[in-house]
Amino acid sequence: MSEQLPAPDFDSQNYQRPNQKWICGRATEGSPCRKGPDNKGRCGATAECAPVLEKKPGEEKGRWRCTRSGGACESGPLPDGSCGRPAVKCAPVPTLRTRRGQLTRAVIVATIALLLILLGGSWRGSFINPGPISTAHSGEKFASMHGTNSQSCAACHRAGDFGPSGLISAAWHAKPGPFSLTELAYARRGESTAIDTACQKCHPGHALHQPNVVQDVSCSYCHQEHRGPMAATTDTHCGICHADTEVMRAASVKGTRLPEDAFHTSITRDPNVFQASRPRSGFTNVIHRFSSDHPEFRLHADKRRDPNTLMFNHALHLTSDTIQKLPSGQKLDCVFCHQPEAAGVYFQRIRFEKHCQACHSLQFDPETPGLTLPHGNPEFVSAFLHSLPRQYADVAARSGITRPERQTEFAREKLQRLQARVVSGEDFEKRVFFSTATSGPERRVGSVNGATSSLYLGCAYCHDVTSGPHGNPVITKPLVFDRWLPRAQFNHAKHSAVTCGNCHQAEASHDTADIILPTKTSCVTCHSAAGGVSDSCATCHTYHRKL
Amino acid sequence: MSRFGRQTVVGTFLLLLASAGVVIAHRRWSEELPNYAYLSGWVLMAVMILLALYNMRKRLPFLSLGSSEAWLQIHVYAGFFTVILFLAHLKFRMPTGWFEGALAWLYILVTGSGIVGLFLSRVLPRRLATRGGEVIYEKIPALRNALRQEAETLVLAGGPQVIANFYTENLHDFFRRPKYFWPHLLDSRRPLNAIVTELDELRRYLNEAERTTLEKLADLVRRKDGLDYHHALQVTLKLWLFVHLPLTYSLMIFSVLHIIIVFAFSGGAR
Repeated sequence: MSEQLPAPDFDSQNYQRPNQKWICGRATEGSPCRKGPDNKGRCGATAECAPVLEKKPGEEKGRWRCTRSGGACESGPLPDGSCGRPAVKCAPVPTLRTRRGQLTRAVIVATIALLLILLGGSWRGSFINPGPISTAHSGEKFASMHGTNSQSCAACHRAGDFGPSGLISAAWHAKPGPFSLTELAYARRGESTAIDTACQKCHPGHALHQPNVVQDVSCSYCHQEHRGPMAATTDTHCGICHADTEVMRAASVKGTRLPEDAFHTSITRDPNVFQASRPRSGFTNVIHRFSSDHPEFRLHADKRRDPNTLMFNHALHLTSDTIQKLPSGQKLDCVFCHQPEAAGVYFQRIRFEKHCQACHSLQFDPETPGLTLPHGNPEFVSAFLHSLPRQYADVAARSGITRPERQTEFAREKLQRLQARVVSGEDFEKRVFFSTATSGPERRVGSVNGATSSLYLGCAYCHDVTSGPHGNPVITKPLVFDRWLPRAQFNHAKHSAVTCGNCHQAEASHDTADIILPTKTSCVTCHSAAGGVSDSCATCHTYHRKL
Repeated sequence: MSRFGRQTVVGTFLLLLASAGVVIAHRRWSEELPNYAYLSGWVLMAVMILLALYNMRKRLPFLSLGSSEAWLQIHVYAGFFTVILFLAHLKFRMPTGWFEGALAWLYILVTGSGIVGLFLSRVLPRRLATRGGEVIYEKIPALRNALRQEAETLVLAGGPQVIANFYTENLHDFFRRPKYFWPHLLDSRRPLNAIVTELDELRRYLNEAERTTLEKLADLVRRKDGLDYHHALQVTLKLWLFVHLPLTYSLMIFSVLHIIIVFAFSGGAR
């Protein structure tokens, strides 16, 4: 390719070069001087000529001669040798390139000045803050806890109060450092960082998950700050360990070396929480999502039974026609016994007086409805039975018989009728505690034979009653669990849209030992991508243990 | 295919390939690598330094560092490449802090001005070549002055009074300084046509000799308009750098400070 030649009229000796900083002020008039301005923008024009000193032989002073091109001027040089016709200086004009350079330098200076002002003033915290801080870590209260102002980063970041050199030093000595690219690239997810030290200043009792965790996870991995309200954790956070076969295997091995007690928490120590023993390998199944590979709840997987000694047949109470209606005339249903707590998360404990007594009144004498056995303590029941004359007299008093001899007569008559039904007082007391019979002895009325109704459904009808060392009745205290899955949480209030029977197969449960919690399959119906309800780990589990 | 066409095809292909690589890397590692933001930031910074070196290269023409044309091609495609790198570094969300917001806006302004500059440098030279001869930008004032003197000589030295009046009222300012910047930039000839129409209207008041003067004046008006056209387009070709270059330095200062702050406060940044 041939080189392009300049145009014929191109003045190769006098043209605007790209690196020229100033142009002659007369260039705009089309007559720039040949000398032009210097690099600092000063006009280079001095005079019309530079006079030359000429000396003839023998002369001492000599004579200045005008050297003006185009002929000597009339006035000639001055006596001191300078030109008598000084040139009128122009005002050189900066080239666009120079103007651009000036603007660039001004912008650089302005940028540095602005940054120094912003970083040195009280705005610094809010200026460099990469995003809004969560409510828990901001505000006056948080600042006062740390002896800083509310804008200070120093509460959490060591470099928060550093000056410019301190910031550079902190950046240089950061771990991993700015140029430790290998370390930056190969850092492990969830690895603890410097900021975790700051977190644990305020959260010292913060137990990090289970004792068999191989390596603690950084606080900031799950709880990301500077993004406004702290976002909920996701399965990705849990998955760094629970979806990793190697990590789970290591956790399992570590768990086997730890004592069982190390895994207990305040919840697993609660006697009203069902205590399922921890599996030998711990909870180290590899899990990605609840709906996919979360194992069946251990209650069902291990076919656990309810150890409660109180006998109760859910199916009978909910479906049998023999169950009498409630005082309100309604049929017995789940809600009559299982009433939610104020928060609606779990249920109030079942109480005899509130939930059983309406039907199971403990009336032992069919002819005296107002007289019932006390509930709750077998010794009280024994004492009550041994004081029956006094109890009947009290019934007489309550029914309006005021004279003591009439009260005594009332009690005597009642006792006589009661005695006619039992073999002896001892037999009566034994029946009260140990009888499970729902019917009395066979009788014949006219031509019909049939069982009579029992005198009283003994305590053993519902309770586990045994004989003590002295023959005294001992009733095993019932244990009705408040929670069945201590490592998970469940909010009944959030599930009010579904009926109890959707999850709990109570109408099919005939055995007290049945644990009628829903299976995983039942939960997955809704808690899955298909069901449209969240099935994230955090829906049921919390990472931090409450010790 | 022309050499420029080949360069465009190859450059675009490489740009798309690199961008696809960034997107794949982002999807693969943005959640996987805890320090993804640091790493993507360093890659972005490295490309930004490469972009800034183009200006250094122009200042050192005596060094054999490759042709300026090759550097420009690299500058253009690397500039476009930073867009995807920038988005990946931000994880495709706008920053919320003041400092990082300012940094993002600086990047947007620098990149935007660069894209505008690229567009102008592709479009305006073609337009310049279609109108008038080659005019050196620095000579425009002298040429304008010469035209003004020629017009004034023509009008005032023996011309009819009506032309002189017209010149004084309507053309004096036109010849004195650049005019109609925006119409020229938008390739509109409406202002020129308006002047020529007015000159035509004068024609009926003039005799044959005076009409010749008017023709000459109209010719000078057209030449001045052509000069203004060159001025408008050439100044635009140069002025976008008044935004692009100073803001580039601001961006680099902000970026260096960003790196210092991020590492000084590191431990929580993810």
